[in-house]
Amino acid sequence: MRDIGHHAHVGTKILTVEDDERIRQAVTLALEEEGWDVIEAETGERALDTFTATPADVVLIDIMLPGIDGFEVCRSIRRASDVPIIMVTARADTHDVVAGLEAGADDYLTKPFAPKELSARIRAMLRRARTAEPGDLERIKVGELEISPEEGLVLKKGEELHLTKTEFKLLVELASQPGKVFSREVLLERVWGYDYFGDGRLVDVHVRRLRTKVEADPASPRYVVTSRGLGYKLQP
Amino acid sequence: MGRQRWWRGLLARVTLIYAFGALGLSATVAFATFALAQNRLLAEVEGQHRQQAFRNAIDVRQRLLAQAPILEEAARADPEAGTDSEIEEAQRNTEEIYNNVLAQLRRPNRSLPVIVLDDGTERSLTATRRSIPTKLQAAVDPIEGIPDTEPMKAAQLRYSDGDDISYAVGVRLDEVNVTYYEVLPLTELQATLGSLRVILIVVAVVASIAGAGLGYYSARVALAPLARISGAARSIAAGDFSTKLDMEDDRDLAVLTQAFNEMVDAVGNRIEREQRFTSDVSHELRSPLMTLTASVEVLERRKDSLPDVAQQAIDLLSHDLRRFQRLVEDLLEVSRMEAGAVQLQLSRFRLSEFLENVIYQSQSPHLELTYSEEDSLTSITADKRRLAQVLTNLLENADKYGDGATGVHFEVVGENVQIVVADSGPGVPALQRDRIFERFGRVEAGNRASAPGFGLGLSLVAEHVRLHGGQVWVTDRIDGQPGARFVVQLPVGEHIDVAEEMAF
Repeated sequence: MRDIGHHAHVGTKILTVEDDERIRQAVTLALEEEGWDVIEAETGERALDTFTATPADVVLIDIMLPGIDGFEVCRSIRRASDVPIIMVTARADTHDVVAGLEAGADDYLTKPFAPKELSARIRAMLRRARTAEPGDLERIKVGELEISPEEGLVLKKGEELHLTKTEFKLLVELASQPGKVFSREVLLERVWGYDYFGDGRLVDVHVRRLRTKVEADPASPRYVVTSRGLGYKLQP
Repeated sequence: MGRQRWWRGLLARVTLIYAFGALGLSATVAFATFALAQNRLLAEVEGQHRQQAFRNAIDVRQRLLAQAPILEEAARADPEAGTDSEIEEAQRNTEEIYNNVLAQLRRPNRSLPVIVLDDGTERSLTATRRSIPTKLQAAVDPIEGIPDTEPMKAAQLRYSDGDDISYAVGVRLDEVNVTYYEVLPLTELQATLGSLRVILIVVAVVASIAGAGLGYYSARVALAPLARISGAARSIAAGDFSTKLDMEDDRDLAVLTQAFNEMVDAVGNRIEREQRFTSDVSHELRSPLMTLTASVEVLERRKDSLPDVAQQAIDLLSHDLRRFQRLVEDLLEVSRMEAGAVQLQLSRFRLSEFLENVIYQSQSPHLELTYSEEDSLTSITADKRRLAQVLTNLLENADKYGDGATGVHFEVVGENVQIVVADSGPGVPALQRDRIFERFGRVEAGNRASAPGFGLGLSLVAEHVRLHGGQVWVTDRIDGQPGARFVVQLPVGEHIDVAEEMAF
């Protein structure tokens, strides 16, 4: 991972939705120390208004909010934008995580998290889909799909598909070597930037979401295929 | 259930009772039917035969009276006086008369008429003689010396001759000095009754089988609510408190159903309260922890620009903040376990890689992990987060009570894998080796008692390991050095792919 020092993120806006004022202040303080611009919102309603007025680059949402909850905020933002969303849950082993991911979140953290870890997550999200190797710049064609990593475009039968950044990164990763099986660990590392303790559910839910957009019949996928016990692959 | 005898089951008992009941009932009915039918048929057949025998007896008497002169002459014929041919002639005549008489009788039921002369000679139509039972003869024959008062003395007898049953009527015809018998073989009736018996036995057997079936069915119907209740109880035991029994139309069952549903509600509410408490506590504790974590991080970033004393204070603060976090984490895990809300998130991973990562992120990141080359590729199926907590807690325990861990080792033993954490502390006294895995079961004597901690760590280790179907124990170090050796034994598990299923 590239080391990005102070003030390297100037101009990158993070919308923090958190009802507890002290937490909001402390997190803002720490994130600003990391060099991000922070916009605060204490309710879901306020968050949606703020996001409409000044779209952020990353949104951090606490699931437990008074009024409209984090899931709903997540869904509303997702309807309008493919902005990376990180949600904050109380526990990792509840259904909240899956529900949040299904509502459109890209990643999650459990409270209390280290702002350093949050920064790492944000950096991973903002990183563009594999552009390191020149070979990847070329368009990848798989069946009716046409993926161009450079432009961030996916076409199906010539029509553009609307993928979130994470879905796109996942697809590009799988498409980098069609037919090769990628384990959840590898995908967590390459798409989400996790070192080792990533949650396999992130991959599973995103694969499912990706299928609803890419596949004609998501229940029996043609492109993004499960390789039982091993991981996923893009069927050439 | 397994060792109980099958007939102890309610279903089996009800079925048996119905079967025996049906058998008893149908056997009684069959027996009565048979007896009645037998009596009726015999009475009818024998009555008709009796009438017929009497009519024939009268017939025989009249015909013989008409032939009386010839017969008397033949009887008077002196065997010594006449020639052989005369005697033969007379005998032939007599025989012819009797045969004619017998032949002209009306016998629609194919009975056998027999005329027994007073001299003992029997005259009958068939070649096969049917001997008249002496008992019947005795009842009809005139008693010597006593003149008969009745003109036609009669008697009847049902008797068996081997397998065959016959009915015979005898009538004394004094005026013509003969006794007329008419024997009716009851073979046809016997065959009819035999068939009837077979039919009735079949009916009885079928009725008992039907009874057993009916018993089984009605027991099933009666027991169906029980099956529903036990099914519901099982799903409640599995933690689903939304399970409800549908209200029964049956008033007797409705009471049970209502009581059951009320119980489920009450227990469910209590557990829900406890779970809400857990999540409330979780939220309450996590919020200040979040603020602290974020703030301490800011301080740490700016540590270099602070005076030494402040730096030391920040180190203390951040170190104990992490400890506090783990403690809260443990506490929540414990209350989650008490609420029965634990669900393992199983995945399959390579153990060496996993343990290295856990050690790397622990308080002692440079601790040595040892394993043999053949075990290096071992994968296990487990909940990563919880297994990480197991190792972290063991390492922390070694830090707190055992002067720090000296190394982590793992090896495959049969179907299991053993993960060993050794320390160089005072060890655990043999008597307390079970207690330290109980909640708040910290060793009381010696160094370990004076050390800080809530004793939650090892109990969580034990709980997690147990949830994984494994065991944990502590021994002395095997290399003779002082210190404790904690062994976690886990099944390697099947090669499964649950991660995807868990997500749904």
